[in-house]
Amino acid sequence: MRKIDKIKQYVFPYLLILPSMVGIGLFVVYPIIKVIILSFYSTNMINPAKTKYVGFENYIKMFNKVMFKKAMVNTSIYTLVMIVVVLALSLLLAVWLGQKSSRINYICQMAVFLPHIISIVSVALIFVQMMEPNFGLFNSILVALNLPTSRWLQSSDTALMSVLLVSIWKSVGYYTLIFIAALQSVPRDIYEAAELDNAGKFKTFYKITLPMISPQIFFVVIVLTIGSFKVIETIRLMTNGGPNNATTSLVFYIYREVFNNTDIGKGAAAGVVLMVIVGIMTVLYFSSLSKRVHYR
Amino acid sequence: MAKIEFRNVTKAFDKNVVIKDLNLEIEDGSFTVLVGPSGCGKTTLLRMIAGIGPQTSGQVLIDGVDVSNVPPGKRKVAMVFQNYAIYPTMTVKENIEFGLKNNKVPKEQREKLINETASKVGLTEYLNRKPSQLSGGQRQRVALARAMVKNPSVFLMDEPLSNLDAKLRVQMRVELIELHNKLKTTFVYVTHDQVEAMSMADTIVLMNEGKIQQKASPEVMYKDPDNLFAARFIGSPPMNVCNLDHKGNKFGFRPERVDITDEYVNDTAFIMEGVVVTREMLGHETIYSVRNEEGITVTVKRLDDKWRMDQKVFVSVKDIKDIYFFGKDGQRIRENDNDYAYCINQLRGVKNEEN
Amino acid sequence: MYGVSQNIKNTANIILKILVIAIFAFPFLWVISVSLQTDAEVNTFPATIIPKTPQFNNYVRAWQAGPFLTYFKNSVVIIVAIITIQMLIMIPAAYAFAMYDLKLKNILFSLVLIAFMVPTQVTFVPVYLMMGEWGLLRTLWPQILPFMTNAFGIFLLRQYFMQVPEELIEAARLDNASELKIVYKLMIPMAKPALATIILFSFVSHWNEYFWPLIMTNTTDVRPLTVGIAALKSTEGFVNWNTIMAGNMFLIAPILIVYVFCSRFIIKAFSYSGIK
Repeated sequence: MRKIDKIKQYVFPYLLILPSMVGIGLFVVYPIIKVIILSFYSTNMINPAKTKYVGFENYIKMFNKVMFKKAMVNTSIYTLVMIVVVLALSLLLAVWLGQKSSRINYICQMAVFLPHIISIVSVALIFVQMMEPNFGLFNSILVALNLPTSRWLQSSDTALMSVLLVSIWKSVGYYTLIFIAALQSVPRDIYEAAELDNAGKFKTFYKITLPMISPQIFFVVIVLTIGSFKVIETIRLMTNGGPNNATTSLVFYIYREVFNNTDIGKGAAAGVVLMVIVGIMTVLYFSSLSKRVHYR
Repeated sequence: MAKIEFRNVTKAFDKNVVIKDLNLEIEDGSFTVLVGPSGCGKTTLLRMIAGIGPQTSGQVLIDGVDVSNVPPGKRKVAMVFQNYAIYPTMTVKENIEFGLKNNKVPKEQREKLINETASKVGLTEYLNRKPSQLSGGQRQRVALARAMVKNPSVFLMDEPLSNLDAKLRVQMRVELIELHNKLKTTFVYVTHDQVEAMSMADTIVLMNEGKIQQKASPEVMYKDPDNLFAARFIGSPPMNVCNLDHKGNKFGFRPERVDITDEYVNDTAFIMEGVVVTREMLGHETIYSVRNEEGITVTVKRLDDKWRMDQKVFVSVKDIKDIYFFGKDGQRIRENDNDYAYCINQLRGVKNEEN
Repeated sequence: MYGVSQNIKNTANIILKILVIAIFAFPFLWVISVSLQTDAEVNTFPATIIPKTPQFNNYVRAWQAGPFLTYFKNSVVIIVAIITIQMLIMIPAAYAFAMYDLKLKNILFSLVLIAFMVPTQVTFVPVYLMMGEWGLLRTLWPQILPFMTNAFGIFLLRQYFMQVPEELIEAARLDNASELKIVYKLMIPMAKPALATIILFSFVSHWNEYFWPLIMTNTTDVRPLTVGIAALKSTEGFVNWNTIMAGNMFLIAPILIVYVFCSRFIIKAFSYSGIK
């Protein structure tokens, strides 16, 4: 009897974890491996027998394709702009709205965060309509103010920026909240000590506030980077990659290769590229986490 | 080195008035301790001197100058916070340097000052460490060094020893007193611990509910309290206080001035018969409490420990000068007051009643 | 001590904040406006800001433009299924990670970590193929099963479980409580805030999910609301924005209502998600 009990005791916790591991195995681990494998094959959906191993051919072809390069460039620009603008804006808003807990500050926070919680589908539809060059609200306002209109999403020059505008609008609120929480975690007496040390407002911000919330800043940069590299829904909903691939992102490229061009091999290769990028960011984040643990 | 003055100072937080029309002078070069229970306003006053919690109305003067519109950083005042408030993201050196840099002290002079101050507090080897790598005592020294290096006219300290363990606390007490003797700067020190106040101060300002109860040297505080609150706050165990009559007058005497005998003693100012109900033998002294039939309990502190529980004893105070009288309003009735004779009479009556 | 300049600063501050509120809230008001405009108003330039007479029949038109009852039902079923399955799976897992000292704990936990960081944009192709092979593409399962393990939930819950004081559990054991009872009556109630947060995050992210269902659904009968609304735009060659925006309100309204009522909780939950 005792041996059975011991075995039961030993096995029990593993049983508890088992279902979650099944989920992870099936839907995370297996797909990761499969994607890597698929990237080395040229898959023929219609005639599976014709699927063959092609080694790095998919990668080589992909890296040479203008489309892929454009997608990488677009995604990189998108990511860079997102990081810089969202970081600056959310920090600014956090400082502005997070100092005192007044009614208007709270309503402001509510408003700023609202877009984040609404579906991208809704947001995209609203902005597509507002940005419509001929009948949209934005151009109507510009005309009323005697300013030049824009083609917004319909010109390859302005499409990416228009999409960025929407993404920034939608995501600023979330990061603002994170920074407000971070700012509030700085003990008040540190600011008082700085006052006594004759530090001005800006100096206090640069030498005390920013360093103290640097873990959160780092976190935000990483999350923003990963999130921006994954961008697909906004693109699909607002421009479908165009005009003229001006807004084709990395994941949109994957999506198109797989579903429009049925080139699973290339889609998988691009997926691996995405995975590597996300992987690097993740490793960066976790390695810095372990270094900064002894902060307070 | 500066004298500090509060003139008709009021402090309100929204509708809540915590200090009203307070007047106080803190002598230049003194070691003044603001002491009192939580919420009495002592830290509020301290923060007014620093300028980080400015008064709602009234004036604060440092060295005769009204500093109400002078920002904290320009008042030549340094403060050691209760939780040290040292900058976690800077090294010890940068912590100490920060104020100097902001005041545009040239680099060479900065280096000199920092090294001097660091050696004074024993932090020289730790200059390049970050606060998270330091112990509590070391962090406190960083806070101290940061204050010292500014060479301020006033040193403010907000319960700086409360986060240290008992041994370190005693050690730091001595160091702070020595520091004061050396620098001769005005020290304003806030604590809720009356033992700390008594041991460190040359002037104690006792506060309660936003009002000053008494301002005096420790000796005077102990021997000649102004009111009931002061009498009971200073001294441990607190003064025994009993009712004198039905009009609200009271009398009190310190546990350390009480004699215990097995038999009735003549010629005492006060004597009571009772039973020993508790006995705390602390090594160097023993604290008894003796209760009589009516339930009145007298605390006695003695150096001998020969009295036992449930023993029938007499507690007495020999000298009338060891008896303090207090009026209905809590104010002290002294020898030269009108009511003093009345009190003496009443006391005799009490004594007779008891026996 | 408040001079005139301070008052001016305060007023400017408030005006700016109202401007910010307008920038972020206005587009939602705009949806309402457009949804109530006539076909003519929607197609004129410059755009009409306030419709003359509210055209509530746009909402009827939108509802009839597609099988919205089905879409709505699908979304609800999917959400309920996801959350239920996630709870059943993640609570035991978090409990095990928190309470037991397993040999393989580190490896298994790093798997959870990986699951948390790997985006669906990487895994969707193989999962799509897998769902096809299993013949599930005409069902709702592809939108439910892949999310059965809530890695974030396991993290957060484990954290909370680890913070339950040891003495409490020991006292319960001394009171002869079975393991199950301990979980049920002690640990779960203590982890209520965490559970609330996890459910909130799961609800928001899956109600708003667009890309995943887009991939996994080929037929309209399994589409959720998001995909259905998005499809409104591409159904006809000529877009009737007022109808589309009316449909958009179906998607926005539920979340908006929850947000207005639970804003304090929601804001708090999201604020602290960065401090893991």
